[in-house]
Amino acid sequence: MAAGFKTVEPLEYYRRFLKENCRPDGRELGEFRTTTVNIGSISTADGSALVKLGNTTVICGVKAEFAAPSTDAPDKGYVVPNVDLPPLCSSRFRSGPPGEEAQVASQFIADVIENSQIIQKEDLCISPGKLVWVLYCDLICLDYDGNILDACTFALLAALKNVQLPEVTINEETALAEVNLKKKSYLNIRTHPVATSFAVFDDTLLIVDPTGEEEHLATGTLTIVMDEEGKLCCLHKPGGSGLTGAKLQDCMSRAVTRHKEVKKLMDEVIKSMKPK
Amino acid sequence: MFVNLGWQGMGQGWTQGSQLKGARGRHMQDRERKTGGFVLEVTQLPLAEALKVEGEADPQRTVECELEGVGLAHVSVLFQIRGSRARALPDRALVNCQYSSATFSTGERKRRPHGDRKSCEMGLQLRQTFEAAILTQLHPRSQIDIYVQVLQADGGTYAACVNAATLAVLDAGIPMRDFVCACSAGFVDGTALADLSHVEEAAGGPQLALALLPASGQIALLEMDARLHEDHLERVLEAAAQAARDVHTLLDRVVRQHVRE
Repeated sequence: MAAGFKTVEPLEYYRRFLKENCRPDGRELGEFRTTTVNIGSISTADGSALVKLGNTTVICGVKAEFAAPSTDAPDKGYVVPNVDLPPLCSSRFRSGPPGEEAQVASQFIADVIENSQIIQKEDLCISPGKLVWVLYCDLICLDYDGNILDACTFALLAALKNVQLPEVTINEETALAEVNLKKKSYLNIRTHPVATSFAVFDDTLLIVDPTGEEEHLATGTLTIVMDEEGKLCCLHKPGGSGLTGAKLQDCMSRAVTRHKEVKKLMDEVIKSMKPK
Repeated sequence: MFVNLGWQGMGQGWTQGSQLKGARGRHMQDRERKTGGFVLEVTQLPLAEALKVEGEADPQRTVECELEGVGLAHVSVLFQIRGSRARALPDRALVNCQYSSATFSTGERKRRPHGDRKSCEMGLQLRQTFEAAILTQLHPRSQIDIYVQVLQADGGTYAACVNAATLAVLDAGIPMRDFVCACSAGFVDGTALADLSHVEEAAGGPQLALALLPASGQIALLEMDARLHEDHLERVLEAAAQAARDVHTLLDRVVRQHVRE
């Protein structure tokens, strides 16, 4: 009977739950789904991470290649993100060139990388003016159940923490790069941006970490990317219903708490990986 | 070899394995759509030391396993009865397979994850394999989409895709004649080797990919390249067939276990 009601009047069904300050999957309005992260599982990639936020699954693989730097920034490397939402993850996506949502997500991740200065591009320089590293970060969504931006940001962060770059020296005589695969070092991750997404219901109610259905019923979404010292890296509110300043402040404090949770999880995972 | 299997929504199983098998999907019982899949990984490490299961007691029964992994694939199966009837066949279902490998799946970064020749060929091979196995007559005027995503390739990608897709199709509830189990085999220095890794494949010897329907022993697909003397064919074929049968025992056991849960 409940299933029938849900199909016929999904919004009303949701409102009944929201009135009791909870959601159909049993969560509170400010509660995130179970987050799991798995680092370094893909050995062909230089760094990899798999993040699961409830059912939403995103895998990030980082591959490092050589490139020539541009003339106006001869000592800066590149970080190139790409988000792929294949038809595999949800029936709403068709095969073919990247759709709107994938492109928006890719741009969002590029903005996060740029704004948060997660990696100093100068760290990626091998030989100024001649050779730099370019990190291709490919994020593939394996299951789409809402809140893709949070999962992508987390996966990217975890994968970058996992990247090990070999030492490269330029041979003066031949001017060729010599890669020493035995000596690898981790990247210097300067900041830890963590994204928190909210969905707006009926112009007033804010819920954290929306699932696919909730996103579909929501009247607006908001994503806040927060850094360690409570610094805001990115605020993404693509239209939708309006929000008051006070509500925004509430969201930001929730984002700060979320940052602590995620940081703790990350540290645990990294610590468990180190002995390898 | 070890296999761990789970459903999305009802439960999830995640492991990483050194063999490339994986399938995932959702259990969406929609009036029009039915999807299903498995999360499955197969590893060649001994079960006892390799598997470390962390169960989480939450309503969705998320089970997570961590293993040293080398190969990973993801498959999702979508079964739809929807609008466009232009390509629909009047008496049976249309099977459509799409193969895509992640850019970070191979040693050298792949530029084009899908749409290139190898992906199209692989898609076609998968389609031919599954058309032989799925009982398409039971679903006229509909389309079955099988999407395969390879996350890490260490040889035997075709075999892994077939095994994973079998489970995904089973999970979706689409009737099949039998499991389709596949394995690759090669011939080096007078020995037939089953389940080649990337290094062994790159060595350049003859390679055989075999997809088998184990119960009847029928071969759904057999593909071989490079030169091989006909005297040796029997041995190589037998090696591949035996490996495929082993995979079948494994898959069968896991499916039964999961159905019981």
